[in-house]
Amino acid sequence: MVFHVSGLTDIGTVRTSNQDAIDWCLDDASTEALLVLADGMGGYQGGEEASRIALDTLMESLAPALNAGTTPESRKQSVQLALNLASERIEARKAQAPDLAKMGTTIVLAWVSGNSAILAHIGDSRCYLLHNESLQCLTRDDTVVQNMLEDGSIRERDVPNVPFRNVLTRALGASDATATFGEVPLEPGDLLLLCSDGLTGALEENEWISLLSRADSVQTGVQALIDASLEKGAKDNVSVVLLSTN
Amino acid sequence: MASLSQLVDSVVVTTFEIDKPEVRLGRRTNNDIRIDEISVSGQHAVIECVPNAYLEGTMDYYITDKGSTNGTFVNDLRITERQRLNSNDRVRIGWNEFRFVDEDENAMEKTAYILD
Repeated sequence: MVFHVSGLTDIGTVRTSNQDAIDWCLDDASTEALLVLADGMGGYQGGEEASRIALDTLMESLAPALNAGTTPESRKQSVQLALNLASERIEARKAQAPDLAKMGTTIVLAWVSGNSAILAHIGDSRCYLLHNESLQCLTRDDTVVQNMLEDGSIRERDVPNVPFRNVLTRALGASDATATFGEVPLEPGDLLLLCSDGLTGALEENEWISLLSRADSVQTGVQALIDASLEKGAKDNVSVVLLSTN
Repeated sequence: MASLSQLVDSVVVTTFEIDKPEVRLGRRTNNDIRIDEISVSGQHAVIECVPNAYLEGTMDYYITDKGSTNGTFVNDLRITERQRLNSNDRVRIGWNEFRFVDEDENAMEKTAYILD
């Protein structure tokens, strides 16, 4: 399969800085792709630095390994090693600057090769699969809210009102850097989407499908999602990376 | 500390502290918060105060209707199962209006942060 990738990040309508960071790369034949998205936190400067350090480290470590004919298992190992390095770099930067002490970042990554993708994430940035007009979230948020939904303490309708709705249980730079890994098969026509919580917070998931199905390319699909989020007054930074298969 | 303030015409007339793991509300005298009014059942509702399993030092408050005749409402919705209370929720016991306030919740940071 041949992949097409596009991505955009926007500051949103309220925030004064964009702490999200995105990047992606494809091999020369566009048959293998690496997509990364990070959502930083820990103050104005800290959030930007943490997401940038994580993104740069992952791209620097993993992009050279694209199309090296590796197995999914060895790719997962490479991703984990890169995440460990990113975590060490964030810790080192925190040690230099006391005002960055609370910085950290989420990470969501997809490494797409052949007819499958390996996924890795820490925090609440998500990966979705759009397959046959059906949208499926492939990642589980590392949040207090997710834990409480699963143990039955709260219900979906309580989520917008609970005071700890933004509290992560895990993040790069703030906890053990071990990611949660997943693997997903891909078919021609599938879309794989990475996003920060700015998108999920601004735009109902059921609106994504019609926006994406009307788009004639990954570029216009990404632009449509960002534009719709901003029209809804996106309070947080909004970021999307989208991959199509054909 | 959390409290439940009874309102009459939007004015606070009495404030009850939620200072026990389980606070019972109803018309009978054996309730922690006794509401001697005709729309209130003998054992009407209970508020539980439970430590949050994932956030150290944070308490969660849940209200459950005990099969009352005229119902327990949170923000005008009749509850049919255990419901978490958020600060400033309006609670109605039969025809009696209350406001739930959790002072610790108001102090909680609203922007994203990480649990260390």
